[in-house]
Order: sequence, then C-alpha cells, then structure tokens
Amino acid sequence: MVILFAVFLLTLLALTAVAIVRTENLFVAVMLTGIFSLLMAANFFVLDAADVALTEAAVGAGISTVLFLGALALTAEHERSVVSGRWLSMGIVVVTTLILIYATFDKPRLGDPRAPVHQHVAPWYLDQTPELIGIPNVVTAVLGSFRGYDTLGEVFVVVTACIGVLFILGVRRGGYSPSPDGDRLTTAGSGLRHHLIPKVVGRLLIPFIVLFGLYVLFHGEYGPGGGFQAGAIIATGIILYALLDGEAQALKAVPRPVLMGMVVGGATLYGAVGVAGIALGGSFLDYSVLADDPVKGQQLGILIIEVGVGLAVCGSLLSIFHAFAARGRH
Amino acid sequence: MYLVVSIAILITMALALVRALLGPSVYDRMLAVNMFGTKTVLLLSVIAFLYGRPDFLDLALAYALINFVGVLAVLEFFQSRSIRRAADRVDGG
Repeated sequence: MVILFAVFLLTLLALTAVAIVRTENLFVAVMLTGIFSLLMAANFFVLDAADVALTEAAVGAGISTVLFLGALALTAEHERSVVSGRWLSMGIVVVTTLILIYATFDKPRLGDPRAPVHQHVAPWYLDQTPELIGIPNVVTAVLGSFRGYDTLGEVFVVVTACIGVLFILGVRRGGYSPSPDGDRLTTAGSGLRHHLIPKVVGRLLIPFIVLFGLYVLFHGEYGPGGGFQAGAIIATGIILYALLDGEAQALKAVPRPVLMGMVVGGATLYGAVGVAGIALGGSFLDYSVLADDPVKGQQLGILIIEVGVGLAVCGSLLSIFHAFAARGRH
Repeated sequence: MYLVVSIAILITMALALVRALLGPSVYDRMLAVNMFGTKTVLLLSVIAFLYGRPDFLDLALAYALINFVGVLAVLEFFQSRSIRRAADRVDGG
C-alpha cells in the first residue's frame, strides 16, 4: 500500500516535472514548481522520512516560491526558446537514464532489512543513540552528533551560497538609498496592507509561525525537525511580514547588519562548540565533555549547534530575499 | 477508513494537478496550487493516523502555516506588477 501511494505520487511528480520543462511561461513554471515541492514532501512523508519532509515543507512551499517570484520580477515572463544543441542534450539525457535504470537492477528491494545500507553503521546508530545521547529522534542524533562534521560542512555551504548570491545580486554598501522615482513605486506597491483579509489573517499568523519555528528548533530532539527547518520557518514568518507591510518595513525590523551577524554568528557558534570540546579535553565536536554527565553534554551540544544552524539558515534566506527586493528597486 | 480517505485525497490531488497543467488562465493555476497545498496538508494528516504516528501532524501544521505565504507572495507579485505596468503606461503616455 505504501508502495502504491509512493508510485502514484511519483507518477504525478514525473508529470509535473515534464510540464515544468515544457512550459515556456515562467510564471506557470514557478506555480508548477510549488506543486512539485508539495508532491516531493508528500512522497518523503509516505516513505517515513519525516525530517526530510519537514525540510522540504519549510523551504519548498514558502521560501522558494517567494524567491522564484522575486527573480521573475527581474526578468521577462517568457522563456526564450533555444534550438541549438537539442539533440546532444537529448542524447546525454537518454544515455544517463538508461545507465540509471540499469543500475536499479542491482538495487535491493525497498525496506529490505538485508540491504547493505542497513548493515553498515545504521544498526550501531540505532543501538547506541539511547545510551550515548539519550534522545528519541535518531536522525537528530546522527546529524548533530555522530556526523557533526558533515552538518558543520553543510552550514558553511549555506553561508558560502549566501555570500555568492549577495555578490551576484550586488547589494550596495551602506544599504538602500531611495531615489524619488523608485520610492514612489515602492510606496505604492509596498505590501498587501490595503487588503483587509491578508492583513488580518497574516498579522495573526506571524507570531504563530515564529513560535512554531522555535518549537521545531527546541523539539527537534523528540520529533521531526531541527535547526535547519526552524531557521527556514522563522525566515518565512518574517518574509510574511515583509509581504504584508512592505519589504522596507521588514528591513527596519531586522536590519541588514543583524542578518549578517546571524549568518556569520550562527556558523561561528557551531565551530565554537567544536573548539570548546577541544578546550575541555575532548576532540573537535565531541560534546560529551561539555557537561559533567556525558549524555547531558551531548544534549547540550546538539541544542547549541541546532541554534547555530538555525541562525545561519534564517539569516541567509532573509539576506537573499532582501537582495532580490533591493535589486528590483534599482 | 483512513485508507479510503487517503485514496480520495490522492484522486483530488490528481484532479487539481490536471487543472494546474491545463490552465488556461493564471488564476486557474494559482487556485490549483493553493488547493494542492491544502490537499497535501490533509493527506499528511490522514497518513500520519494511518501509520499510527499522530506526532507527525507537526508536518501538516508546518504546511498549513507556510502555504499561505506562497499564495500571498503570488498576490503581491501581481499587485506590484500591475502597478509597475500602470506607471510605465503613464510615463510612456
């Protein structure tokens, strides 16, 4: 039955993907990307990967639509059709597809307990997590503690991506200087506050979205979630404020230096926990030495690095959002 | 019972997808996406109970909160675009 659900959802996913490629109207493509993300998350969920589904929910449903629309506001609405090199790309795609299909013949059945992936370190993680870390969500334990290096690397990937996007979109030093013409446009078009229903419902939702983000952050050890999802959800809440009251107002609430501080501070906080482990006589990113009780130390360490991840992700996403909006004004 | 409900929701999702693919107007697609989001929330909730893991309802909650932002972003996009076009027309004329 799970298989049937997954196959059905994957079929819809494939249809949507083909439609995204086929359409030349970029707005339609953005809308279909939203559906693609929803289908992907439902599929992750059906396959019992709740943490990944929450990530896809946090990023795919809200923020990526907002960023795509921000990009779309800077370009034309229709894709220019490119004819040259079509057969070459077609050939590469067909060959890759055939190789991938051939590779699936050796793949173990879904959920097979004798599959290599369930024989390697996974049993050890499942076995040792209650004893060493003492939290119910093994995914959080693996990401935060056992494979803390990977997650540290991922945080720096997020920071690097943020720096790259900010460079490309070229935020001016000293921030936004209003030109008379640009100012007229932004005040006229800033936000949806002149519409009653979005204003009332949106204002009501903002505190709950931020609260839910904090819940996901601090409850990540017990349920699905963690720093990355929390950062994305809180960023969504602030973007909602920007949509309602205008982007300039949101920038006043969370100014650019604060955002930069969040991005750099979050990544530094993560690294600092690792260094603190060394200073207290353990190894890098070994949290057991952070408290008298090793299990408490692990939990404390995971919580602090999750906060670091959340800060970095939230700051990056908001910086990118503001960079798009600032670009649109000039 | 959960099974019947989830199959019904899957069928509704497929119908919404058909509307999103066919269009024809932008508003059809927007409504289809919005409806698709709502159906995903429902599907996640029902499947959480079908699997006997109601704590996964967190996810459905996250979707319910966040979906709204995407739709508002689309509305904002249309509003600012129509304002910009009107301004261009005034400047041009």
